Amino acid sequence: MTKTPVAGFGCLCACGTSAETCFEGALTGRARFDLPGARVNSAYATSYPVFLAADEIAKACPAGESLSLHYFLTAADEAFFHAGVFPAELAAKKRVGVIVGTSVDASFHCFDLYKNNRTGTPRPDDPQELAHYFASSTALAASRHYGFKGPFQTVVTACASGTDAVGLARSWILSGLCDAVLCGGTDEINLIPYDGFTRLLIATKDRCRPFDKNRNGINIGEGAGALLLMNEETAREFSVRPKGYVLGYGNACDAYHPTAPDPEAKGLKKAISFALKDAGLAAQDLAFVNAHGTASQANDAAEAAAFNSLLKNVPVWGSKGVTGHTLGAAGAVEAVLTLTALNNKIIPPTFGFQETDENVGFAPVQTKTPLTKRAALSDSLAFGGCNAALVLGAEDYDG
Amino acid sequence: MADFFINGFSALTGDADAASFAAYFEARRLRRMETIAKNALLCSCRAFEQAGIDIHAPKDTGLSVAAGAGSLESTCKFMDSIIDDGDELSSPTAFAGSVHNSTGLTLSVFLHLNGPCVTTGQFDFSFAGALLTAREFLKRGLCREALVAVAEDINPSAALLAPKNPELFAPVLRGPQGPFTRAAAAFVISAEPTEKTQFAVTDFHFSRTDAPAAPCSLFPSAAACALETAARLQTGKPFVLCDVFGGAELKLEAEPYVN
Repeated sequence: MTKTPVAGFGCLCACGTSAETCFEGALTGRARFDLPGARVNSAYATSYPVFLAADEIAKACPAGESLSLHYFLTAADEAFFHAGVFPAELAAKKRVGVIVGTSVDASFHCFDLYKNNRTGTPRPDDPQELAHYFASSTALAASRHYGFKGPFQTVVTACASGTDAVGLARSWILSGLCDAVLCGGTDEINLIPYDGFTRLLIATKDRCRPFDKNRNGINIGEGAGALLLMNEETAREFSVRPKGYVLGYGNACDAYHPTAPDPEAKGLKKAISFALKDAGLAAQDLAFVNAHGTASQANDAAEAAAFNSLLKNVPVWGSKGVTGHTLGAAGAVEAVLTLTALNNKIIPPTFGFQETDENVGFAPVQTKTPLTKRAALSDSLAFGGCNAALVLGAEDYDG
Repeated sequence: MADFFINGFSALTGDADAASFAAYFEARRLRRMETIAKNALLCSCRAFEQAGIDIHAPKDTGLSVAAGAGSLESTCKFMDSIIDDGDELSSPTAFAGSVHNSTGLTLSVFLHLNGPCVTTGQFDFSFAGALLTAREFLKRGLCREALVAVAEDINPSAALLAPKNPELFAPVLRGPQGPFTRAAAAFVISAEPTEKTQFAVTDFHFSRTDAPAAPCSLFPSAAACALETAARLQTGKPFVLCDVFGGAELKLEAEPYVN
């Protein structure tokens, strides 16, 4: 089986401003969990907290750049630094693609502009803002920023987008389409998803409790994860020591319901099976699974059905108790956390979990747990019944 | 040597009429469906029919959706509900429908698609991204055939502002002078030829460029390339489609396939 080198990665979210500090947050439970404040002008903004990225990152966002793009570029800069590769040198010598998963950044969430024009009170700068929106597709903007000339793709498969972006990046490398691919996911919190998830009655006023018997909903979050994938030849040419590997990717559709996952998790089981087959591994080869674990009743139950069927006795780690649900970024943030956990040889606790749910049938990891196996699985479920899974290998994976 | 094969295709501009669905589904099943999903569904049914694939049978066909600017009808309905009724009475149904892959959901449920599914949303290059993804599904063995579905909505703010500012919008929006319309298309592709194969795609290339624009079509829609591709396929003749617009280029070369 072919392993795809991860040259470097970067991450930011509520529990850190880099991959290293995010992992520290995952180990300690330290995260910025707060009311959204002035960021969201909603009647709910005084009662539903969220997981927010650090203000200093948002404040550094250049005028005319969306916060989501800024988050992604910040994480991507870290990934290049981690890899020890200058983007301009890579762009000059290699065919480099960009795949970014997002939900918010690709949506028409220009609420003020829309409201102004619908209510007959347009502002003079509305046309410029709208034209900028059309010019700023996330992956295209990132590709343009670094001067890459390969293909680009903004994946918008809702909450599975980040996982799909990494999986498709592996595919682009394996098929010879690119020598290197910058991939990941990003999302920011704004009024639309904030009100939307609250009105769907799946948000909670408490801190979320993944897989807990008394879990009562999700907290949305924001952030970005970025990974630089390369083929072996490019990694050698740029003297890159891989920081991990993408070993497998699977994806399958439930064809079931707009917002609820299939309780039998048929699509998720298929996605996990594909990913394991692609990696040439079996459940017993996995150190842990980083679950989607949103802490909604339906998500965690469906995921448990898949894990109990295919990944029996594989330790389960839910990280959304420190990151929140970062929507289109989630899969990429969790891929980075999974790689850092593998490289640090420790599974962080599942913050928020307290009591086992007999309908789930297992308790996720609750203490810092040493690990020895060198591969792990990370999965995502999305509105629309899309399921995706990645198998990731540690920096010293030798399979 | 062929890159992949096209076994069925269909396209439409404007909206699908209810009568067109009579051969496929009961009308009541379509009542609450978003318009762009309905348009994409009709094209997909026709494309599957040409490809000789039963739309009512469960299948592991891959689904790659080009969502253009997303489900704008629901997105705007959700924003309308906030504007008109306030946050606390905003519509959860509209929010659920506003998610980009809601069209993918509709297609997967109605056409019984249980294979891999990814949605691409990057305006004019959604079709190129979706075609690329479908090809990767085939190359990686995730499925034997894939449906590439394109669903493009009208952005009401663009329809209002672009005609008044055509120079500002011309670099980022095809035909900013309008008239704006919805559009949809569908293509059934496979890695290997089938009895129903109509075209072999011999070259498909998509990348970023700094070259000046030379768009294949000025049709005011992110579905322009998909519509143009369907129009070229309809001629039954070999063709090379080149599109350079908005900072990217697409090249698609195809020739009729004879079994």
